[in-house]
Amino acid sequence: MILEYVIEASSLTKYYGDFCAVDHIDFNVEKGEIFGFLGPNGAGKTTTVRMLTGISIPSDGWAKIEGYDIKKQSVEAKELMGIVPDISNVYTELSAWDNLTFTGQLYHLSKSDREERAHELLEMFELYDRRHEKLEDYSRGMRRRVCIAMALMNRSSILFLDEPTSGLDVQSVLTIRDLIRKLNHEGLTVFLTTHNMEEANQMCDRIAIINHGRIAAIDTPERLKRTAEGLQSVEVSFETPTLKILDDLKLLTGVKEAQKQGDKFRLYTEDPPKILSEVWDYAEKNGLKLITVNTLGPSLEDVFVKLTGVKEKPKTGGRGGMRGRRKGMGGIR
Amino acid sequence: MTSGKRFARELKVAWAIAVKDMKIYYLRPPSLMFGILFPFSMFLSFVIGRNMPLSRAIPVLVAQTVFFAASTIGPVSIPMERRLQTFDRFLSAPVSLLTVMLGKTIAGFIYGVGISFIPVALGLSFFNAQITDPAALGIGMMLSAFGFAAMGIMFASLPGQGPGQVMMPLNFVRIPLLFVSGVYTPIQNLPSWGKVASAASPLTHTIELIRLGLGGEGFYGLAVNVIILTFYVIVFMLAGMRFHILNQKRE
Repeated sequence: MILEYVIEASSLTKYYGDFCAVDHIDFNVEKGEIFGFLGPNGAGKTTTVRMLTGISIPSDGWAKIEGYDIKKQSVEAKELMGIVPDISNVYTELSAWDNLTFTGQLYHLSKSDREERAHELLEMFELYDRRHEKLEDYSRGMRRRVCIAMALMNRSSILFLDEPTSGLDVQSVLTIRDLIRKLNHEGLTVFLTTHNMEEANQMCDRIAIINHGRIAAIDTPERLKRTAEGLQSVEVSFETPTLKILDDLKLLTGVKEAQKQGDKFRLYTEDPPKILSEVWDYAEKNGLKLITVNTLGPSLEDVFVKLTGVKEKPKTGGRGGMRGRRKGMGGIR
Repeated sequence: MTSGKRFARELKVAWAIAVKDMKIYYLRPPSLMFGILFPFSMFLSFVIGRNMPLSRAIPVLVAQTVFFAASTIGPVSIPMERRLQTFDRFLSAPVSLLTVMLGKTIAGFIYGVGISFIPVALGLSFFNAQITDPAALGIGMMLSAFGFAAMGIMFASLPGQGPGQVMMPLNFVRIPLLFVSGVYTPIQNLPSWGKVASAASPLTHTIELIRLGLGGEGFYGLAVNVIILTFYVIVFMLAGMRFHILNQKRE
């Protein structure tokens, strides 16, 4: 039987009392893709993952994992997946070795198989030398790695990652992102929930944006950005940035909105070339020295804000910021 | 896969869960306090100064330790695992909920049998207690430990983020049971409502079997004791499972 989708959700719904946390959502995930599930806190991301992985029972609708209904054929479905929840739910009283081999037991691996797999994963995650230490002595990043290794013990074909890099230091974030890409190249399908837009932009083949329990859009990151093509902007920086400059820039013809972002000013417009010449004239008239000028396409953040109305706190996640697509680097010195 | 192989596979997982619980929870302060300290101190507070003959005191201590110790591990482990989300590992693993419940029950069972063996050994070594009916004693300790462990698991399905939130309602049940189960007051001396409550209490049948095993006499008889305790094992297991499924629907 050839299956087009490895994860299918139809009218998936979760109520907590009268509150509808996930409201009849439908989506499919293709084999081998990294599928991002992007949304603000409380949007329903974790609830969706909990229903897809059988931890929570849906109030309505259904979900299938490689054709197995998660409610009716839960054992078969669960054998195919690994889960990394939003917090590292490892047994801190046990060693990394014991955590992994216990997980192997839960997935019915033979003793030799689970020891071989634990050895392999601990080597891969660079934890083998500390395998007998209790996890209470591990750093948060190391526990996260153990948690991911536990999710891979059963050689799953689908990996659910719920905010995998949240709260980690830059080095751990980069390590985990590289690892997810590597696993995906090896054929693993990844379902990644995040509220970090840069992470979603960098990692995902397709993204679903969820807000208030409903899916607002599903598409590739670039196509999503194209839906907000009207949100182009020009980013400029002056040698001496002041709030007066911000007030002046707001008055330029064609500027829809102006923001001061650190030592830079971002001017939203539908006509970037016109704004560029306006800014140039403004700088000359006022004797201001321009340092950089960039035109930016809409970022995923812009799309997110447009679709959800939620202004997320920017997350850098260690590589780049929440930046738009740079169309031209106009560094002026 | 044949049902026999599947059963063996599930049993292995249940045992793995039990071993993991033994490593993590047996020496936790709430386990030691509610499972060991609590029954021993309650026993001493009732026995000291009452001139209770040892032939009556040892079975009381054995029954009380098996009762408290076995029913403590579930209420310690499950709320902690819920709080740390490690319980989700079982729910997302390809195992049945019954297997998880069984693993947790085995952990409580071994704790209950292990701890209650201490007063038996003390009685045999220092207080001239004698095992007159090993089968009654063995069945009494094991069936009771299993039933009370399942009772603890059932209570642990109550929503709560810590062992204390489960222990409180559990103790509201455990402590009154001591007074209607013929532990300190013979069943014959109870009022008529007390006799009815006594017959329905699983602890009554625990102490009866242990008394029979240690040379004492019973009120209901071995067969009734075993049937009622078996009934409770099944009821507690099924109710525990049902409550955990309700939790899954609610969470």
